Amino acid sequence: MLSIPFTKTTLANGLDVIVHEDHQAPLTAVSVWYHVGSKNEVPGLTGLAHLFEHLMFEGSQHEPSGYFGPLQQAGAAINGSTSTDRTNYWEVVPKDATRLALWMEADRMGWLLPALTESRLETQRGVVLNERRQSYENRPYGLAQFTIMDALFPQEHPYHWPTIGEPADLAAAALSDVHGFFSRYYHPGNASLAIAGDVRTDDVVAMVEDLFGAIPRGPVVSAVTAAAPTPSQRRLVMEDRVELPRLYMAWLTPGLFEAGDAELDLVSDLVANGRTSRLYGRLIHERRIAVELAAGQTSRELGGTFQIVASAAPGHTLDELEAAINEEIERFGTEGPTERELLRGRVQAEAAFVFRVESLGGFGGKADQLNAYNIYRSNPDSFQVDLDRYLGATRDSLRSAVADWLGRRAAVTLAVVPQGTERPTLSGAERVERSAA
Amino acid sequence: MTRRFERPSPGESTPIRFPAIARARLENGLSVWSIAHRGVPVASATLVMSRGTGDDPAPLPGLASLTGDLLDEGAGSRDAIALADAFGQLGTQLDIDVGPDATTLSVSGLARFLPDALALMADVVIRPTLQADDFARVRELRLNRLRQLSRSATTMADRAYVSALFGAHAYGHGALGTTSSLEAVTLEDAQTFWRHMYAPAAATLVVVGDIQLAEVAGHAERAFGSWEARTPAPPPTARPDLPSDPRVLLVDRPGSPQSELRVGHVGPPRSTPAYHALVTLNAVLGGQFTSRINRRLREEKGVTYGARTSFDFRRVAGTFSCDTSVQADATAGAVTDVLEEFDRVRDEFVPEDELGAAKASLTRGYVRNFETASQLARAAVQLATHGLPDDTFDRFVPTIRDIAGADVRDAAHAYVRPVEATIVVVGDASVCASSLEAIGRTVSIVSPEF
Repeated sequence: MLSIPFTKTTLANGLDVIVHEDHQAPLTAVSVWYHVGSKNEVPGLTGLAHLFEHLMFEGSQHEPSGYFGPLQQAGAAINGSTSTDRTNYWEVVPKDATRLALWMEADRMGWLLPALTESRLETQRGVVLNERRQSYENRPYGLAQFTIMDALFPQEHPYHWPTIGEPADLAAAALSDVHGFFSRYYHPGNASLAIAGDVRTDDVVAMVEDLFGAIPRGPVVSAVTAAAPTPSQRRLVMEDRVELPRLYMAWLTPGLFEAGDAELDLVSDLVANGRTSRLYGRLIHERRIAVELAAGQTSRELGGTFQIVASAAPGHTLDELEAAINEEIERFGTEGPTERELLRGRVQAEAAFVFRVESLGGFGGKADQLNAYNIYRSNPDSFQVDLDRYLGATRDSLRSAVADWLGRRAAVTLAVVPQGTERPTLSGAERVERSAA
Repeated sequence: MTRRFERPSPGESTPIRFPAIARARLENGLSVWSIAHRGVPVASATLVMSRGTGDDPAPLPGLASLTGDLLDEGAGSRDAIALADAFGQLGTQLDIDVGPDATTLSVSGLARFLPDALALMADVVIRPTLQADDFARVRELRLNRLRQLSRSATTMADRAYVSALFGAHAYGHGALGTTSSLEAVTLEDAQTFWRHMYAPAAATLVVVGDIQLAEVAGHAERAFGSWEARTPAPPPTARPDLPSDPRVLLVDRPGSPQSELRVGHVGPPRSTPAYHALVTLNAVLGGQFTSRINRRLREEKGVTYGARTSFDFRRVAGTFSCDTSVQADATAGAVTDVLEEFDRVRDEFVPEDELGAAKASLTRGYVRNFETASQLARAAVQLATHGLPDDTFDRFVPTIRDIAGADVRDAAHAYVRPVEATIVVVGDASVCASSLEAIGRTVSIVSPEF
């Protein structure tokens, strides 16, 4: 049984507090999840959840000079991340700095706005625009994902826009917009706090009461809903500063924890990840028509997406890759995996789960996982339930997941080709422009 | 209520004790290290060979990395796919990393599979098939990888930088080598490299998990006992003679919204007595978020997502560099800022509170490096690669605590030399060339070799 012993307490202001004791190393992991991501934004004001991932480190009323200084001097590792669905913030500290880490989290949850000034906003707006340039615009194939999400989801769907935001929206965001977004989403009733490590549960819960108890409960945040997008079949081509044409095939699939989600996660490895995968064997090892290959099921609250990505070897076309990929999907959807493939998928899933609980915190450590299960399933004790989805997969459930969800042609097929390519190597594709700034 | 709003101070930090390393040696000369680690039922096994890209023969950059890559393209009775499947059935995969000074093969997985994983790993090291068709396929993939990387601003900058610093020395090229070296290399070259460089006497097997030395040694003997004892070619030890090249080397990449920068010069090897002073100096200058250069370029000016400095300590020489990517119109200003910070850390004593903060973050956070089996294995690999004593990690915290302002200034004088710094800029020349001219150094347009 894979289980992480914990206690969960809910403060009067609605804050969930999850504590897991582990006395192996003199460390404490603190993780705060806010149930807000880019899906809570509106067109015209995108990028705010991610912008907060910057502003939350810049200072709060009682620590106005910034969060990195005091925490780094206490020996902390610190970071945060933003997705379509949630934002997380974490520290891993030597155990004697547990109170400090909690104090910092409390101060920015309860007392951020007095320190959130126009000049702070201005600087971090610049930093985020530079993050966008560095991570997407200036990177080969860096704009492909924006184009895919844009085409998969209609304009009003919350997954249509990128988490990092549209540059024009970031430029237009006023201080009042930013303050308003904080008041709406960053409060105890929309957060989950997990503490894992060398602590005593009673002590640390009392500490949390003391530090977070006075923060007022915020407005109720209602769940974001969206009509399921109608799958179309769009074929697109865009130019980039790249050497080899690359094919992206994207399907709309079940969301997080829905039927078929775990199966498609297993399928991504069996079909296209690593040397043991079917497509590696056929496209790279035997036929040598592809040089790079990957696949993944991205599980999100409002629905999932499945993608296969492959770059063509010189002299080969994306049409060839597409045909070979479709053929393999069809075969998988008819015959399913072999017994050996199924066993490999299961044992790899088991190992991945064990590694996820090997560390206390950070991205993917125990504190992060407890929060994930608490936010998405309202129950931190979901490790075994989650793993069972993988261990319970059968040859037939994997076969039918592929037949049901990937059986129809991809919803979006995108070719990214070298600049100046006259004849796209993907037939029937419509040219799209994506400006770099 | 007032106390509520007073930031608590951290208490005393816990001293670090790196776990004891238990050792054995097989008859063929292979060192076996066992490190106890309890908790989750995982184990990590790493075979480290103290040979890497720094051992590439002069005409064939990329040979060490290519040879490492070929090992698991077929070994024992299995071909590439069957090997990967065999590791996969154990819930793990083999990672092969060829760095400047060492080649490591590692697996991390469920502890119950350790003996099987070691047996597979031994096949890969001792009995690689090294066949012509696998060689041809891997070479082709690497040539295409190079093509792809030739469009990446970060790789362009890295290549231009190490080439300016190290020239023809083996540290002066990327691990993959170049298109021309990959076209010239033969299967025989890889077979010869494997025969001369891979030997049990040059290797250490590190196992971390809930397991005793006797058991580890038994598994190691069964897996690696048949590895033929032979004398490996000695690694290069002489420090190369490397003149500085204080130019601005501009790589034109039209349309780039940012410029990728590298600023610095050759640095000392891992064995330098200034190691701890340099680690402290780096924490002040650019090693952390709160360090001077990141504060200036990101938090004050907002012209970058981040800027870092680092000393990369290698066996015979290292690098010192500031790495960042800045918005195109801020290129020359950022270069000037970086050089000014290099000057300042040499010319002015680091204020006591700033030094104290840098030291505190290094010492108090040090314990975080030894939490998981993989972290302990990586630490042990450092000891094996550089021949460091077992108390290296235990001594880190007290040694850093003793570093004084004068030590940092002396280290800065010796190892941060802005007048000698090479400045690599990968960006749109039409936007940044003329402002770079104004810095007052020779600006040369270059293109890195791929």
